[in-house]
Amino acid sequence: MKKSDSKAKRGTALRRESDRALVQQIRRLLALPPSKRTNFLRKRLPGGGSTL
Amino acid sequence: MTAEPWLILAARSFAKHRLEAVLIGNAAAALQGSPVTTLDLDFMFRKTPLNLTKLKRVADDLGAVVLKPYYPASGLFRLVRDRDGLQFDFMSKVDGIRSYQSLRSRAAAVRFGRATLLVATLEDIIKSKRAANRPQDRAVLPVLRRTLDEKVRLEG
Repeated sequence: MKKSDSKAKRGTALRRESDRALVQQIRRLLALPPSKRTNFLRKRLPGGGSTL
Repeated sequence: MTAEPWLILAARSFAKHRLEAVLIGNAAAALQGSPVTTLDLDFMFRKTPLNLTKLKRVADDLGAVVLKPYYPASGLFRLVRDRDGLQFDFMSKVDGIRSYQSLRSRAAAVRFGRATLLVATLEDIIKSKRAANRPQDRAVLPVLRRTLDEKVRLEG
């Protein structure tokens, strides 16, 4: 019981941290002018897949 | 990688040939501040004989070809350049968008180089992705909604 409690707490903490990181990233992007928010293109790789 | 060279090319070539189109999809969402990525640039345009002629001129100008990858009535025209993988998709119908005019009336003009591109609002992109409801649309919707919340918070 105790083990699953701590697992749930860890999961909640991870989700909160992930959400905080997403909001920070969005705020950094919103601080730039739209013409500078251009690092979004993925390049196709030969044989499939893609990379930034 | 940066999409700036493609955006400058698109803005310059559309202006040169007077082709009016609105950037939509993940590229537009990224320019509106969302941390999302894409392989191509998607545009909505009005499918008129004149615009199709202009589209062909834009393709010639960029050293690209125009393909119709799906059945003829789909309204999708794909501009492709093999040497660097440039791909611009032009759609006359977009899920969740009632008309080109309504999308255009809300779009923002963003300058790239010496010309501007029309970029759809985040609200319209969210509406469109919600209506399309493909797995890739559902995957980015929470990020787009979060961006919109932050924008509203900053502007409010």
